[in-house]
This record gives sequence, structure tokens and C-alpha cells, in this order.
Amino acid sequence: MKWEDFTEGTEVATEFRIASADMDAFERLSGDSNPLHTDAEFARTLGFEDRVVYGALIIARISEMIGMKLPGTGGVWSSLRIDFRDPLYIDEAAELRGTVTHRSEAVKMLTLRLRVEAGGRRIATGTAETVWRADD
Amino acid sequence: MASDDLYDELTDIFRDVFDDDDIVLSDDMTAADVDDWDSLSHIRLIVAVEQHYGVSFTATEIAALENVGQFASLIRQKLGA
Repeated sequence: MKWEDFTEGTEVATEFRIASADMDAFERLSGDSNPLHTDAEFARTLGFEDRVVYGALIIARISEMIGMKLPGTGGVWSSLRIDFRDPLYIDEAAELRGTVTHRSEAVKMLTLRLRVEAGGRRIATGTAETVWRADD
Repeated sequence: MASDDLYDELTDIFRDVFDDDDIVLSDDMTAADVDDWDSLSHIRLIVAVEQHYGVSFTATEIAALENVGQFASLIRQKLGA
């Protein structure tokens, strides 16, 4: 992709599911053994249906989108703001959608609106910025 | 837009971008006068101004700026003020 390929309104969507093995791997990687993410019974005592997917695993999918597609290998991710609004559960089908909301020709920065949905629920919303560094 | 109004708005944008409520703008202020005015902050400042005023700059316009006063003049020019 080239810088000129991106305009305000450019949109990329990707579907994903977080598997139990992903949860286990992230627990080992991060050291975050909060039972909200590891113990379904505990999670239910907090009012959730089941173990709640780590927010960082949702961010991992955002990383994949920004690093590989929007804008991909020509960009350098420089910021992220995210609100986790509803729990995502293990093996639940989710969709991440990224939309270019601002394209600065002067400094080659894209501002992205991010939205994650699953089962008709709004799981997370946020914004990200990425700076285009490749020579087109 | 009156010059003072523009400077009030620009001051708010600078304070937000640089996370410094003590910033007071002046015409001859440059990047050397503001802590943390690095290359990424510079990019964020330009984007924040573009989004706030709904204007677009070119790389040439930005590269030619020598101080805050010239930046304010460029914004006024874009706004037709």
C-alpha cells in the first residue's frame, strides 16, 4: 500500500476469536493471573457470564490491523486510546473495524477510529494514530 | 477570528498536546522554548490544529515555519481571517 491509497473514510474490518490457548499464552507472557480471566466461577461472582478475555488480546488484534493492513508496513504506530465497554468471551466471534478519520498530508499521520463488536454488543471503542514513514 | 481568540485556542491546543498547563504562547516562541517538543509532539500539534480548525497544511508550509507567530499567521490565512 502507498500513502496515496489512504483517504478519510478508508475502512478495514477483520474478524477474530480469542481461544482458550491464547488466554493461557497471554497469562504466561504477562504474568496477569487475575481470576477474572482465568477462573469462570470467580468471573461469575463479578457478574460476568464467563472468563473475560484480556483487553490486551483485543489490543493485539488492533496491532495486527495497524501493522499489517491499516496502514501496514509503511506506518509506525504512535498512539492508542481505548475504552473497554463490554466483556468479550472466549471463542466468541468478534469484528474489529478501523476507519481513517483524519489524513494529514503535512506530517503523514493517519488518525483511526476503532470499534470492536461481538454478538451485537459494542466491546471496545478507541482511536489510534500512525505515522507513514515509507518512501512511496 | 480576532488574534486573541486564535491565541487562546492555540494555547489550549498546545497545552493539551504537550500536557503542560503553564505554556504561554508568544509570536517568537520556537520548539526550543517548549519542553518535550520532539518530532512526535510536532506531528501531533499539526494534526490537532488541522482537526480543530478543519484545515489542511502541506509539508512545505509546515517546513517553512520559524516560530509560533508564523504558525498563527498560516492558520489565519487558511481560515480566510
